[in-house]
Amino acid sequence: MKFSNILYACSFVLAVSFFTSCNNDDDNQSTMLPDANADFSGIYSQVDHMGRPGINTVLSADDATKDSQNRTLPADMAVAFQASFEARLEAYHDVYATILGADPAAVNYENNILGLDVATLTGYLAADVLEVAPNLPTTYFNPGTDADMDGRILVPDGDEVALTGRTIQDDVIDVSLILLFGGMEGDRFSGQDTDGDGMADLPRLTSDGVSITANPTTTFPYLGNPE
Amino acid sequence: MKNTKTYFGLALLAIAGVILVAADHIDAPSSKGTSADIADFYAFEPTTGSDNTVFIVDLQSSVLPDLAYGTFDENVLTEINIDLDGDLVEDKVIQAIPRGGIMYFFGPVAPSQKGLDSQVAIDAPLGSVEISEASAKTTTTASGVKLFAGPRQDAFFFDFFQFNAVIGGNAPLGFKEASEAEDTFEGANTMSIVIEIPNAMLGTTTAKNALGLEVYKTWVTSNKKQ
Repeated sequence: MKFSNILYACSFVLAVSFFTSCNNDDDNQSTMLPDANADFSGIYSQVDHMGRPGINTVLSADDATKDSQNRTLPADMAVAFQASFEARLEAYHDVYATILGADPAAVNYENNILGLDVATLTGYLAADVLEVAPNLPTTYFNPGTDADMDGRILVPDGDEVALTGRTIQDDVIDVSLILLFGGMEGDRFSGQDTDGDGMADLPRLTSDGVSITANPTTTFPYLGNPE
Repeated sequence: MKNTKTYFGLALLAIAGVILVAADHIDAPSSKGTSADIADFYAFEPTTGSDNTVFIVDLQSSVLPDLAYGTFDENVLTEINIDLDGDLVEDKVIQAIPRGGIMYFFGPVAPSQKGLDSQVAIDAPLGSVEISEASAKTTTTASGVKLFAGPRQDAFFFDFFQFNAVIGGNAPLGFKEASEAEDTFEGANTMSIVIEIPNAMLGTTTAKNALGLEVYKTWVTSNKKQ
């Protein structure tokens, strides 16, 4: 055989053995290297960002801000957005005050069940990252168990685990509503009947009333088959 | 007094309604509906006391008008960013990008570029998995990392229709009670990338959350080839 033919033959054998070794273990194609034709070169420029659910769309006042937030680095977000997030949250309370003829300066965000004032809360939310604890149970927020027997279950007693990640089952909508509108006890606007006539007088703002309808699984990949 | 109550309710609901667009399912104009649209992000330990962390990135949830799902775009690099010291700058990234029906993963590795532009960390392959169809195909790498990419149920839940009624001024009492509320995302599907990875591969973190508990600070970005 010509030397070049031998070379081709050797290369072919090597190539075949390379690919067959990758396929020997059907369950562990983990070391499968990219196909020689796969091209991963190039610059990939950021289009979208997500940390916590709902924050950008919730507290960004307009489309331009939302687009900007999707291309802002987290380290720059608090400086860029905390003030406008705070203004947006206060504006929502002012709308309510104005409609009722009350003084907007007197109707404000009420420190929530985590005890965060509006600047701290909006600064925390503006730095839009999802925190996950490596060594603690995961819960977006755990309403607590009244460990100190003070009669307040919604309010953390100082020993709850919270803000340690986001499970599939976490009701992030209700948690967000409670932290934004629930006030100190977490139930500031929860459809209460304030005049005892059997009808709700305050609107229901601390829960959207729905629970999970999907069927997550206990084994990887934890989400169910598509419907 | 009835009018005052109605106005009171409407005002509060207008407030809450605007605020209540959840997750990133209804996203900012320039990314909404595109193949780079991040619909949702989860991060959790799979069982109590586990030494692993699971990351789920959902792309392109299509809730309306129908509940179908799409495909992964080879021009889109998905990047999970991990901050280990609380300065909100990524110390490690995990990347996922599809090629020819296979999702390739890279990292966790310090990125060659921090910031808005990324390059695929081809020197740090993590593993790969065939992109699934309706039933899940998963892989476990030699280092114990589980990988999945493909369509899944969208597990997000929210009464989006009632939210629309709220911001339209048609729901003076706010959201519905549990017996009447309906999950708009029931039956919705999405394209999911799921990674379960030993915490030792992510590294030790000194970052803390608002309650002083030690956490990884994470975020996901989608990045389009230039």
